[in-house]
Amino acid sequence: MRQVIKGRQVVGDDWIYAEKDCAPTGGRTVLPLADFLAARAAGVADAASLGVKLLPADDEAALEPYLADLPLVAVEFPSTGEGRGYTQARLLRERHGYRGELRAIGAVRVDQIWFLARCGFDVFDLAGGEDPAVAIAQLERFSVVYQPGPDGLTQPRRRYGA
Amino acid sequence: MYRYDTLDQTLVAERVAQFRDQTQRFLAGTLSEDEFRPLRLRNGLYIQKHAPMLRVAVPYGLLSTRQLRMLAHLARKYDRNYGHFTTRQNIQYNWPALKDVPDMLADLATVEMHAIQTSGNCIRNVTADHFAGIAPDEIDDPRPYCEIIRQWSTLHPEFNYLPRKFKIAVTGSPADRAASEVHDIGLHMRRGPDGQVGFEVLVGGGLGRTPIIGKVIREFLPREHLLSYLEAILRIYNQEGRRDNMYKARIKILVKAKGEQAFRDAVEQEWALIRDSALRLDTAEIDRVRAFFAPLPYEPLADIDATAGREAAYVAWYRHNTRAHKMPGYRAVVVSLKAPDIAPGDITADQMDALADLADRVSSGQVRTTHDQNLILGEVRQQDLYETWQGLTTLGLATPNIGTLTDMICCPGLDFCSLANAGSIGIAKQINDRFSDIDYLYDLGPLEIKMSGCMNACGHHHVGHIGILGVDKHGEEWYQITIGGSASGTSSLGTVIGPSVGKADVADTIAKLLDVYVSQRREAETFLDTVRRIGVEPFRERVYAASH
Repeated sequence: MRQVIKGRQVVGDDWIYAEKDCAPTGGRTVLPLADFLAARAAGVADAASLGVKLLPADDEAALEPYLADLPLVAVEFPSTGEGRGYTQARLLRERHGYRGELRAIGAVRVDQIWFLARCGFDVFDLAGGEDPAVAIAQLERFSVVYQPGPDGLTQPRRRYGA
Repeated sequence: MYRYDTLDQTLVAERVAQFRDQTQRFLAGTLSEDEFRPLRLRNGLYIQKHAPMLRVAVPYGLLSTRQLRMLAHLARKYDRNYGHFTTRQNIQYNWPALKDVPDMLADLATVEMHAIQTSGNCIRNVTADHFAGIAPDEIDDPRPYCEIIRQWSTLHPEFNYLPRKFKIAVTGSPADRAASEVHDIGLHMRRGPDGQVGFEVLVGGGLGRTPIIGKVIREFLPREHLLSYLEAILRIYNQEGRRDNMYKARIKILVKAKGEQAFRDAVEQEWALIRDSALRLDTAEIDRVRAFFAPLPYEPLADIDATAGREAAYVAWYRHNTRAHKMPGYRAVVVSLKAPDIAPGDITADQMDALADLADRVSSGQVRTTHDQNLILGEVRQQDLYETWQGLTTLGLATPNIGTLTDMICCPGLDFCSLANAGSIGIAKQINDRFSDIDYLYDLGPLEIKMSGCMNACGHHHVGHIGILGVDKHGEEWYQITIGGSASGTSSLGTVIGPSVGKADVADTIAKLLDVYVSQRREAETFLDTVRRIGVEPFRERVYAASH
């Protein structure tokens, strides 16, 4: 079973990441955006078992109608240098009010965890070879920040909007 | 100047601990070179030809003498007794050992300094007019706003993995001494109808492979909206900037491709959604930061004739290396890091220490770094200028060449940089050897030579009155010459005069360009004026006709 970091713990995870053009499987499934939108438009019986994956060029605003009962948005980082997912996360949390699970997947390395968490990610599916213990330690790295943000971390001291 | 509070100090200390951990994981083999690269770059650490190079941030070019002494200490303890000031007001160390870098950062943190985001695809050190706060023509001091931008951009969670690097410059004077029009964002302070300050906002300027002058996307931004507007610009860039080709990834390419109006519309639309968010600056926060930059307790002095009865060497230095100050009885002194026998921008540890002592004695206990790789003592009483000159002369820091041809901007080039195609320090030496007659330089008047060892344009060659670009031709170093560039006020990009010239011919070529200027100039016309009036052709003819 896949292991992910959630709430500063390593936990087992049974979500299935479906490839493009896959129909929903029996289990809890994460679909690419187009497939997800098609499935929801067609009316699925169990919205709670259907998550969506955003690629960097995807428009997170397309999820707006479904956010209330959307259980999981997985934002893919094809490479460590890809930065669009940080904006997608903040917009989902701050502009669209998304409260479900926001998961970083792909080339997610331990040293990005702090920034990802500050943008509103709450679950981290690390790249292969990354040490979850080191990753969790990064979440404690800073006790102060300058920017306001949607992170669910302890209330750090902030310069603005404290 | 700004002093850290507990928040600032804690953040820098925690960043040092983070980088120490990252370095240890790399040295232990847990992090690969590829994984470590973006992490070390975000802390100003490059791996260069000979050794790592550490770039330390000097926010908006302002140093206390205590900080300058620490920079000297770093040079002595971890490097080879010198440092190199850059065109973005920072300092670089060329020879540290990787294992020592966390200790260097810890030492810096004790004097409220760091190397955060001095490299990497993130928001870099924010720069300002090096005469900020003392320039007679200033609308308002830009440095409080630079500090506010510094804090906002430091470890910004959303903008640490941008398509490419991102540079912001702020100026408070109509005269642009911060090259703001060739920055990703240039901010020009203006006064609004209510008398309150705000900013004209330029976006998409830059040098490198595709030099472009920035476009005004907002004529007046009230100051309380500074951060939300910057955030809107950065967000559009982060979402839409190209990531498939690093040479087309700067914001200037996005502005060009999307179109100025469409880009402006996108920013304004985004801004409308966040302008009244927590980023809106309240007066209390602005005043808190502004208080750190309150005018110094100036003595009530009158202007004096500081050159009366003095020797010619001092008078020449006074004319060329000092500048007007907004307060009567004071002047700003430019400390020349352009002695003929040293690489432009280099300074030794001993010079730094002695300069710090001098600054404490005759100026304000602060030293400024400039875009043209010199230093400034900003608050010298006119009656102390002679003593200042004597002190600087002893230190080898009084070469009276500021604003002249030998006050060159020069990148480290092939001697140090792994990106360079050609050397620049050797060419600077060649030019210094050729043009050693100071009276000839004075006769030529204001002349900016800017030199880069490659297309990345760290030496700003596009905006030099004379620009020199090192190119590699089949393994040999050649130099492309441009003329007519400028980054001050009415910015323009230089025009290439013709095919590149061989390494041995650079100074000769410049001599020919100067011959044309001297024979064609009208009364009081500068080199740049003449180029703008008569065009490139007469210069081209002179340079290339001779070789046939």
